[in-house]
Parts: sequence; C-alpha cells; structure tokens
Amino acid sequence: MLKYIARRLVILIPELWIITVIVFTLLQLSPGDFLDQYRLDPSVSKETLKAMEREYGLDKPAVVQYFYWLGKVVRFDFGQSFYYRRPVASLIYERLLGTLVLSLYSFVLSWIIGVVLGVVSALKKYTLTDKILTVVAFSGLAVPGFFLALLLLYMAAKTGWFPIGGMYSPENTKMDVWNAFKDIFLRLQLPAFTLTFGGFAGLMRYMRGSLLDVLNEDYVEFARAKGMPERVVIYKHALRNAINPLVTMFGYSLAGLLSGAVITETIFSWPGLGRLTYQALLQKDYYVVMASTVIGTILLVLGNLVGDILLAAVDPRIRYE
Amino acid sequence: MRKVLTVVLSLLLVAFIFASYIGSQATGKKGGTLIIPTLSGPRTVNDTVSKETSSSDVIAMFMSWGGTLIERHGVDGKFYPALAEKWDGPRLTKDGGMEIIWYLRKDVKWSDGRPFTADDVVFTLNEIYTNPDIPSSFQDVIRSTNGHLPKATKINNYTVRMYYPEPFRLAFRYLGGMYIFPRHVAKKWVDEKKFAEFWTIDSINKKEIVGLGPFIPVEYVPDQYVRFVANPHYWKKDKNGVQLPYLNEVVYKIISSQDAQKLAFEKGEVDIYAPRGTEFAYFKENEKKFNITVMSYGPAYGTQFIVFNWNNKDEAKREWFRNIHFRRAVAYAMDKKKMIDTLFNGLAIEQWSPVSMASPFYNEKVVAKYPYDLNKARAELKLGGFSWDKNGRLIDSKGRPVKFTIETNAGYTIREGMGNIITAALKQLGMDITFVPGDFNTLVNRMLNVGDWDAIIIGLTGSDEPQGGRNVWALDGSLHFWNFSPDVAKWVDPKHYQVPDFEKEIDKIFRENVRILDENVVKDYWAKFQKLASEYLPLVYTVNSLRLFAWRNTIKNVQIGLFGGTTWNIDWLYKE
Repeated sequence: MLKYIARRLVILIPELWIITVIVFTLLQLSPGDFLDQYRLDPSVSKETLKAMEREYGLDKPAVVQYFYWLGKVVRFDFGQSFYYRRPVASLIYERLLGTLVLSLYSFVLSWIIGVVLGVVSALKKYTLTDKILTVVAFSGLAVPGFFLALLLLYMAAKTGWFPIGGMYSPENTKMDVWNAFKDIFLRLQLPAFTLTFGGFAGLMRYMRGSLLDVLNEDYVEFARAKGMPERVVIYKHALRNAINPLVTMFGYSLAGLLSGAVITETIFSWPGLGRLTYQALLQKDYYVVMASTVIGTILLVLGNLVGDILLAAVDPRIRYE
Repeated sequence: MRKVLTVVLSLLLVAFIFASYIGSQATGKKGGTLIIPTLSGPRTVNDTVSKETSSSDVIAMFMSWGGTLIERHGVDGKFYPALAEKWDGPRLTKDGGMEIIWYLRKDVKWSDGRPFTADDVVFTLNEIYTNPDIPSSFQDVIRSTNGHLPKATKINNYTVRMYYPEPFRLAFRYLGGMYIFPRHVAKKWVDEKKFAEFWTIDSINKKEIVGLGPFIPVEYVPDQYVRFVANPHYWKKDKNGVQLPYLNEVVYKIISSQDAQKLAFEKGEVDIYAPRGTEFAYFKENEKKFNITVMSYGPAYGTQFIVFNWNNKDEAKREWFRNIHFRRAVAYAMDKKKMIDTLFNGLAIEQWSPVSMASPFYNEKVVAKYPYDLNKARAELKLGGFSWDKNGRLIDSKGRPVKFTIETNAGYTIREGMGNIITAALKQLGMDITFVPGDFNTLVNRMLNVGDWDAIIIGLTGSDEPQGGRNVWALDGSLHFWNFSPDVAKWVDPKHYQVPDFEKEIDKIFRENVRILDENVVKDYWAKFQKLASEYLPLVYTVNSLRLFAWRNTIKNVQIGLFGGTTWNIDWLYKE
C-alpha cells in the first residue's frame, strides 16, 4: 500500500510538469498580454509601456519566461503577480480561509444531505416522498447557480434576514470572537446554500441509483430470504456495496475545494480563490493563473489518491500492490 | 484706538485670505461612517505604480483633497489654495522658461504628526515624479512639448519654485495637483532604488501609510473592504473652526457585482451608489421610500466613436475611408436619438465635438453637426463619387461594391447596441456591412499592432483638458488609430501613408497650445481644433452618457457639479 502511494506521488511530478507546460502555452497562444489594458490609455506613454514590459519580463521569449517561472516554483516561489505587484503566494494565502470556509461548509452539507436523501429516496422508491425528493433534486440540477444566487440576494434585500454579500461586515474586527463568528456564519449561509443546492442533487441521484441497483442483486434477496432484519440487510450489506462509486466521486470533488466558485463568489462578494483566478485569467496575470493551476492539479491527484485509498478501505475486494 | 483698528483689520484680512480654501465655509456635525461601494479592491497604494481607479480611489483619500498644493472645486471648476496658500505665476522667465512659486501653508502636519515643509514638495517632484528610474503616468503627463521635466528648488522652508525650461501651460494644474510624498518615510525607498515596492497593499494593515489627505487607510481585508479613519492632523477647519473632516471613518466596501451593489444601496448597507441608466427611473420613483436622492448631472468625460482604418491593406477601403464625403455620410447616418432612447433610457446627449462639454474650452458655435438624415448621407456619398448599382448596392467610382467589417469589444452592451444601430443605417445606404463584436485584448492588439481592421467602435477616457488627448491627435501619437504614422505602427506601408492638411493643423495645435499661458488665446486654438475635427471627422462620435448619482439622505453637504460627484467634498460631508 505504501509503495503504491509513493508511486502515485512520484507520477505527480511529470504530470504537473506537463500540465504547466500546456497551461503556459495556452496562455501564451491566447491573444494579447497583461499590458493590453494600458495600451488604449491616452495617459500611458510608449516609454512607460516599454519599461513595464521589461519589468515584468514580457519582452523575453515565452520559453525563457517559462523556465524562469519553473526555476522559481521548484524553490516554492510562485513569482509575483503583475497586477498586484505582490507575491502570488500571499495573494492565495489571503483568500485561502474564505475559500475553505465556504467550500468545506457546502461540501460537508451537500455530502450529508445528498447521501442521506439518496438513501431515503431509494428505500421509498416510487412513493410520494421519492417523487418530491426527485423534483427537488432535478430543480437543483436545473437551476443555474447564478440565477439562484441572484434570487437569494433579492430575497435577502427584500426581507432583510441576511446581509447583502461579503464575508465580514466592516465592524467585524471590532467585535468579540463570538459575535464575529456569528457575523461570518450568517453571511456564509446564502453562498453556501447556492453551492449546496447545486451540489447535493447530483450526489443524491447517484446514491439513489446505485443503491437501487444493489437492492436488486441476488445476495440482497438471499439475505432477506434467510431472515436477516431489513435494517442489517440495507445498512450492512447493500449500502456498503452501493457506496463505491460515490467514494470515487468524493476523491474527485476534493480537488474542487480550493478552486473556488467564481460566479457565487462574485455575486456574494465572497473573498475566494475563484474570483482571483478568474480575474487573473482575464487580465493575463500569468503567474497567478499558473499557481492556481498547480494547486488545482496537486489537489486533483491527491483527491484521486484519497478516493482510491478509501475505496480499498471500504471494499475488501480491492487491493493495491 | 487706531492701532487696535489696524490689528482688527489686518486680522480680518488674514482671516479672509486663510478662509479661501475649499471647505472653509462649511458647517456640519462631527462623526459617522460613510460607506461607499466599489467593484474591486486596490492593487497598490503607491501612486507611481497605480494604473486603475480601484487603486487610485484609495490613494486619493490620503493624498488628494487638502493634500495637494491647490484643489479644484467640484461645482465652479476653479482652483483654490490648499497646501499652497498663495502662488506667483505661472509666468515666463528671462531665459525663455517658466516658473511657479508656491507659498506653503505653515503648521501643516503629516498624519503621523511630522511637520510638512518645502522639503517634501521638492523631494516629491525632483526625486520621485521626475526620476527616470521611477516611471509613472504622472511623469508622462508633466512632460512639456519638447519632453522637458520640471525642477523644484527650495527657497525657504515654506516657499518652493518650480521651473520648466520652456513654457508649459498645463504645469499649473498638474504640478498644483501633484500628490506629495512624505520625505521622512519615502526617501529611504528612493535611495535604495526600491520605490516600486514602496507602499504595497500590505502597508495598509501594517499602518505604514502617512498622508496629508483627509482619510488614512488603516485596514484592508482582500475582496471585502478598505477602512479609513480621519487624519488626526488634517489642516482644514470649517466655518466655526471645527477641524475637518467631519466623518470619523470611510469604508470602501468591495461588492463585486453591480446588482449586489444596487441591492445593498436599497437596503441601506452602503450610502452612495452610481445607478446605471436602466435603474435611474426605478430609483427616482422610490426616492421617498428608500430615503435617497437621485440625480443626473452633465455629460461624462469618456467618448465613444467609430473610427476607420485609413491605412487598410485593401486599396479600395483606403480610398473610401480617406474620402471625407464617405465619413460625413456615416456621420449623417448615425441615429444618435435612437441610441440615447434605446441604449441610455434617454440619459445621454449627442456628442459632436472632441472636447468635453464640461470643459471651459468647449465651443458649440464652431462645431459642425450632422443630424440623422439618410438623404443627406446619400447626397454626401454622391459628392464622394459613389453610386448605386441596379440591386441598390453602393459602389465606388471604380465600380467596386462597398463592403467592410465593423468591430467592437464584446460584452459591452452599449457599444454592441451602437454597432447594431450604425450597421442597420449603413445597410440602408446600400453598404454591405458585417458587424463583429470580439474579444477586447485581441481587438486592441489588432488595432495597434496588426492593422487588419476596417472600422472599430471603441471609447477613450477623457478630461476637461483637451491636451489630454495628445496621444490620440498628434500625428506621431500612439493612439492615432485612423492614420498611424509608419514610425509608430510597423504595419503601415509608408508608400500609402498620407497626411491631409487638416491633420497637420491639428498636430500643430497640440504642439503649440501648451506653450501659451494666456487662456484666451488657448481658447482660440481649441476652437479651431473642434472646428477641424468635426468638419473632417477622423473620429465619428456617438453619444455621451450623463453622470448619474444617488445617495442616502442621511449624507449631508452633498454638492453635485460639473467637475465633481457625490464625494468631491468628502472632507466636509457629514452623516446624520
């Protein structure tokens, strides 16, 4: 098992390298560069533009720029953001908390709700409960996130139950710990609801489908036939087999924890990595985009690894050599 | 008795002189927090590095208002004494140069309590804004016609002389409005040649910011808010001798979507809002309900126009676009009323002159206008040698059908709407037009560096000083889109490059007007410029939106003017 994990981690290095080359090439191939926004400004002279080009190293060939960046990254330096003129690492660090709070909260919520409702819906298949849950799930899948977010924002404005966006109120730093926590928790609800509503629905349908498949298997029939209590049949035998595909999905979705949710973050003014990366992409702030690509890739590989290990843990048939 | 009278009189005189700064007649109550929404946070608080409004808005709070030598009034547009209580000049010197002598206010302190003196002013101009190692957009702006930069000399602790080797009209407003850096903090960074790293965004939370302006930033939570507190040493006092600013705190709340900003304003979470044209009527109807005031005032400075590529690789297109009658036909075919009604909900005005209507140099009398009239457009096309074939298609004098592409940047609904309106009208004239909104970066790159474009609808920022458009109108300007000089744009074929006489005259106006210090003569120069530009139409202007404002009625002393919006007098706004 340890050997297997080590092998997977070693593979991560060439994987990362290839992905960074691809992303960097794509960034270079896409038209324009960071300085385009200043080229149409009557108050910026050619000399200033030239000086900025030199300062950012944009006058050098793309290959040189890439290896310059790579050389820094292996020393754990993600470089400087053109736009903020600050180390990329500190930009990401500042938004890490906001991103994690939002994504972990909605991640946990959607998994709990998704799995529980999926099981309920499978066990009560074709009843009214199942049908209502199905309708909820499909509307969760169908309603676009941005629309739901705007709707919630409008609701918040009309009722006054929730503040309009933002993670902290400007008074937050003056509050004691408990009130500061309450402030953030209240502000967390709407964006988290948006993400959870879109997230749990898929999981619930997966859980339902997968459990229904297993419930039709012969061994479930056999377990029932030999007089095993229904509770044991379902929770000990059926559910353990039905959970396999979800464990794989769990691994994948771990990768999304740090990539943020651009639209939700923008609408609710949430300080997250999604907005940072998106703005950087629009402005061609290369090193910010590269850093978030690297983080995303590492998380994806690690998430898959975690998924595989969990799978081995829940399913005795799976062994890694 | 006589002695007493003299003392009283001179005291009155002194009081009169000293009371002439902006805010000296204000009344109000101390206290309160003003919350202003903004779409994105600052990137830096170093003015030489800042390139976008989200940063410069934050910088202005601790460097502008009373933090500059002179200050501009938002309503009457005049310059008032601020840190300089009076000045001599600008005047010509014997050696053919020009000078301004500033007499600084005494007993002014930086926000950290250190005294402000002539050394700070001299240091800022000589070692920062004219330092070749510290490029900044301000450095580009203060360069005189032949590229000279000004020099400051200290006459005594409270007197500074600024000198240019040649006359430069704009020196007064630019140097007077210069942001002043605290020498005792900044000098170290200049000496170590690390000035670009001075006052990065971290310095807000480290409480390193020192300024002369009304509010000092003390806290920045990324993507959430920037908090400012009143400068404890701000030098202004109101009518009753109360120290300004009235407000205790200002918060820039970062709300990244405009829809959320609107809701936050409705709900009272922010105090000020800039409504979009489509929201204006809604807020106006609900003024009482939300307890707000909504108002439109004067045209905005930015311009939107259609421009043609006179150096197109296609010979036919070069001929059409260089044909003045063709451009006049396009001007007549532009339905500005429809643009105003459909794109701006009526909150815009037609633009004919390259000079902003808010500018003192705007001269309506000399400007040629082209009200929407397709028959006149057809007549112009005939004059230009165009005719129509039996299918109604427009053909030029050599029988080639008129066919070209209009582009703009996608995602900007107003420009896309303008493109649709222009395209529809030109099609009625028999032209074969394809309208393509595309990616902004690609568009800019092709416009400046590739040259494979026919016509583009785009906009530029502006100000009330026409000279700000030098990069656009000078023959060697880096934004002289329609007729780039081959020296500026490599793609222009020198064999095809021609400069019509009117362009030469405009170029001369831009080079010469800044050497003249008499405003009335300058007015004549700009009148001629407006006449030429509107007659020959290198840029065909569209419409100019009005500036829209909304604020909560709890904010007092708001004075909207041509030159300032809700916050131009933030140092004497107060909240009830």
